[in-house]
Amino acid sequence: MKNYLLTISLLAVIGFIPVQSQDAREIVKMANDKFNGEASSVGTMSMTIVRPTWERTVTFKYWTKENDFSLTLITGPAREKGQTFLKRGTEMWNWNPTVNRLIKLPPSMMSQGWMGSDYTNDDIMRESSIVDDYIHEIVGEEILGERLCYKIMMTAKEESSVIWGSQIRWIDKQDHLFLKAELYDEDGYLVRTETGSEVKLMDGRLIPTRLELIPADEEGYKTIVVFETLEFNLPIDDGFFSQQNMKKVR
Amino acid sequence: MITKTAWKNIWRNKVRSLVVIASVSVGIFAGAFSVAMMEGAMYQRLDDALNDEISHVQITAQGFRDNNDLACLMDNTGNMIDQVRLLEEVEAVSGRIMVIGMANTATKSTGVQIIGVDAENEKALSGLHSKIKEGTGGYLDPSGVENSALIGVDLAKSLNIIRYMITGEVIDSLALLGVPEAVTGKLRPYMDIRFKNEKAFKKELKPVFSQKEEIRYGHMIKEVSQSYREGARFTLTFIDREGFQTGGRFRIAGLYDIPNNMFESSQVFVLRDDLKRLTGLNEGENHMLMIRLKDVDDTREASQKIAAMFPDLETMNWREIQPDLAMLEQMAKIMYGMFMLIILAALAFGIVNTMLMVVLERTKELGMLTAIGMNKKKVFRLIMSESVFLSLFGGVIGMIISKIIISLTATRGINFASYQEGFEAMGYSAHIYPHIGNDFFVVVTLMIIITGILSAVYPALKALKLDPADALRTE
Amino acid sequence: MKNYKYAWRNLWRNKRRTAITAASVFFAVYFALVMRSMQLGTYDYMFKSIVESYSGYMQIQNDQFWEDKIVDNAMEFSREIESTLLSDRNVVETIPRFESFALASSGSRTKGVMVLGIEPGKEKHLSDVEAKLVKYQLSDSAIEKLLEEDIPESVKENLELFRGDLYSGDGRIQLDLGIRDKDADRIMQFIRKHASMENGYISLGEPGALVGGRLAKYLGLSRGDSIVLIGQGYHGITAAAIYEIKGIVNIGTPDIDSRIIYLPVDICQELYSAPGMLTSLVLHLESNDDKSIDETLERIGAGLADPYRLLGWKEMNETIVSQMDADNKGGMIMIGILYLVIAFGVFGTVLMMTAERRREFGVLISIGMQKSKMATVMIYEMIFMGLLGIAAGVAAALPTIIYGYYHPIKFSSDMAKMFEDYGFEPVMAFKWIDNYFLWQSVVVAIIVLVAALYPVRNIFSLKEVNALKA
Repeated sequence: MKNYLLTISLLAVIGFIPVQSQDAREIVKMANDKFNGEASSVGTMSMTIVRPTWERTVTFKYWTKENDFSLTLITGPAREKGQTFLKRGTEMWNWNPTVNRLIKLPPSMMSQGWMGSDYTNDDIMRESSIVDDYIHEIVGEEILGERLCYKIMMTAKEESSVIWGSQIRWIDKQDHLFLKAELYDEDGYLVRTETGSEVKLMDGRLIPTRLELIPADEEGYKTIVVFETLEFNLPIDDGFFSQQNMKKVR
Repeated sequence: MITKTAWKNIWRNKVRSLVVIASVSVGIFAGAFSVAMMEGAMYQRLDDALNDEISHVQITAQGFRDNNDLACLMDNTGNMIDQVRLLEEVEAVSGRIMVIGMANTATKSTGVQIIGVDAENEKALSGLHSKIKEGTGGYLDPSGVENSALIGVDLAKSLNIIRYMITGEVIDSLALLGVPEAVTGKLRPYMDIRFKNEKAFKKELKPVFSQKEEIRYGHMIKEVSQSYREGARFTLTFIDREGFQTGGRFRIAGLYDIPNNMFESSQVFVLRDDLKRLTGLNEGENHMLMIRLKDVDDTREASQKIAAMFPDLETMNWREIQPDLAMLEQMAKIMYGMFMLIILAALAFGIVNTMLMVVLERTKELGMLTAIGMNKKKVFRLIMSESVFLSLFGGVIGMIISKIIISLTATRGINFASYQEGFEAMGYSAHIYPHIGNDFFVVVTLMIIITGILSAVYPALKALKLDPADALRTE
Repeated sequence: MKNYKYAWRNLWRNKRRTAITAASVFFAVYFALVMRSMQLGTYDYMFKSIVESYSGYMQIQNDQFWEDKIVDNAMEFSREIESTLLSDRNVVETIPRFESFALASSGSRTKGVMVLGIEPGKEKHLSDVEAKLVKYQLSDSAIEKLLEEDIPESVKENLELFRGDLYSGDGRIQLDLGIRDKDADRIMQFIRKHASMENGYISLGEPGALVGGRLAKYLGLSRGDSIVLIGQGYHGITAAAIYEIKGIVNIGTPDIDSRIIYLPVDICQELYSAPGMLTSLVLHLESNDDKSIDETLERIGAGLADPYRLLGWKEMNETIVSQMDADNKGGMIMIGILYLVIAFGVFGTVLMMTAERRREFGVLISIGMQKSKMATVMIYEMIFMGLLGIAAGVAAALPTIIYGYYHPIKFSSDMAKMFEDYGFEPVMAFKWIDNYFLWQSVVVAIIVLVAALYPVRNIFSLKEVNALKA
């Protein structure tokens, strides 16, 4: 009798304490793997930069491999067409056919956002992990556009080098999709909101195909990214991600 | 013989001579002391720039200054430092790694120069460790956490690290600074609201005050309402030796505050070891050696010596690095020169007058001297000598008094605390340390002698024109 | 007899004494005026030159631009706006500018640079880039040939020190090489023959760039080579173009010289996808004195609507303004102390004079003259002498200052180099006649009056008996 009770209470204790954070981290990991976990991906997207007085859309094709390499080819508008961007680890290169020049981009070039968007140098170059660099906790559940989501509070770990102080992420319970994120700075001010919608099936996987980045400070500012086509795990050679290929790729 | 007579003659009319001596000594004292004060204030300003920003002499590899290339290094600097330390004029030497990069927070980014320093050596060299704003932390600590940085208040502001909040303490401080209740009262409804940055703060509060109030108190309110969370972090990004983007999250050790805004908003100080690690540089490799001398007056010689020691490198002294500071110094010297000139010219008149009276009073005596055969040249020299003695005597007394008082005040300085705001608005510190070079006294002595001589010309000529016969008849 | 007439006669009775006392006042006023003129003139000149060459006295910008200097904050510019501004009576010219950032690449090297789109013809009122085009280059071959010419040894030695340097003006090269004025013409002939560098300028409508000397050196480019510029333009559109280097400039400040590129403003607008836009419009004025500037600011400011903003030079150059202020106050303190000492000088002279005339006073009183009358006369005497001195001082200062205004004192060596680097002539300028004339005179007058109190007091406390014995 005593043993039984002891076992139950021990189980309860062991089972109870880590349940929250273990689950939370797992959930985030699963969602992240879904989003980033494929070995390689090839796709076409459009990025629309929205401002109070104007709007601009850039279309491009991109190839990524294992989060380390990525090659982006601008396909429109006409003025920008033909430019390529190559990211290898922490290096960023740019090929511009108008001037026939290949240059390495220093961090200062992207202080205004990539191609004028709300994506910063940090977004593109920083290698931080939303799984490993944060402490996660489920703080509730909410319905976002007909899907029930976990609301997870993520606090940046002391030793990590993330630029955000904390994040709140809404992750779909059923399909583990990132549907919304609120990014806060170290002092707790909301800096940016990201939303994912128009969930579609792409190459057998459910992906929110429309991402919106909304900076908190400015009225009427938005960057909208729409995935048009997406294919996963096509075999791509490492050599594809090279300076020579930047000039050739179509 | 003439000299002796001249000296004795002076004391024949004690009162008159004393008046002249007194006025010359007061004039010289006033002049010397003012120059000492002005020079003290100027050197203070100079010193701040030399201490905190550039130091006295800098050594870099050839071509580094032009382009700040990471690869433009000096190696074996350990040896170099030891060699330079041996020079007698040198007080401290320290090596620095420098790289250009970006500093950013979640909301803002800006270009900066990142300087990796040897915290201990730097303290002997730069005054920044004592310019840390109260409540923001302290200087870099080599034994502390990894990746800490010292940045300027202005940089913190432009990165939105400094927030604004009106608290009870803020209102109390403002009251202490003399801001009237009518104004601080308007702030109360906004208490304990934290504003993201200066822009948001101003936007909210500007409409609350009248234009006059804003002009008078706006700046003060802004300064006092600054709120900073100690240990805030930001990201530094730069390129390493291999050309890869690197950097990391840095914790702010403290915020430094100096008058030079441009410097403050672009120079970030980190520990050498941290920067070395991130850029992939080796031990003994440095971009710049900073050298502090014991006396700023040794600059020219010391920098020549050092340049000769390292002919393949580029050695520059502060006058070459910041010619506008040197210009300040030069213009000041010219002004002092003119200043003393004018003082002496003013005093000259008193002397001329005195000597004229001397000549006129002693017409009979001078006539007699000429009659018995004393040649004109000697008479001339007599008058001249008396004049020079009067001036010199007064001048020497004046210089002695000024030297004493200047030495006394030099170390402790004079505190114009009640006029602090006025001084600081002018860019000077309110605590002045009078300073004067010995060359000043040499020059002044020369100027006094010349004044004495020139002042005597007219009276002496008059003495020469005296007709002995007439003179003897005078009574 | 009227007191003042009596006073006047007294003065002429003893010309020597009057002359000396008046002379001390004269010299005081003369030196004070000259020194103040030099102080005000030099600081004025230095600071105004910096302002004039960099920001101009006033600018029109988009109201967001000053706080956030990005291309997206450029403003629309039209001929209407230009003509409205030109119609103001104080505006002579409008000088357009398009400033931004880009990466300059020469194939082997890339560097972040400042791109300045200018209207080549109008810029001479502002930064005068054309005057900064490199004229001479002390290249290896140039030095070889110069060493064979008949020039002083000292100059030949200096050639070695400045090997490879670029010069945009005669002034600086003469200073660096230590060429004396009397040799200048002769030696400059040789320099022109052997060290001249062919150069060119840019013009509207023609793609082409001017590159800073140090930047060109770093990138390994020279005139005729191509330079690639890549950056981000209006609305984030990529800015990329190749330009031929039409000319090399030498900007005094190495900081700027190592990262500046000038383009014709229309070409620059094209590069940044911002046709018809400018980051700033500088107004070139007819009269530059403080009063005219303030009035012009008011007039134009009243007619300006959002999103335009008018900025005055003081706003744009806060550091210079505070430095000018500080120096000015410092100068005033110096003059103040000067007056203290001058007061002593005047006082000393007056003291002497009183002592001399003791007997005279005693005699006059004993024959019945009232003390108060004597005192009044004395005061008049002092006033007259003071006025004489001041008048003489002003009269003497005028020609000195006027001459100095038109022929400023030239500096030598170190000081001169500094000025040349900043791009203006190394002279110590004088300030034209202004309020300070009045102020200095007033102060001296006060000093004289205060000094007058001594003899007056002396008169009143005089005991005739003792005086007669003097």
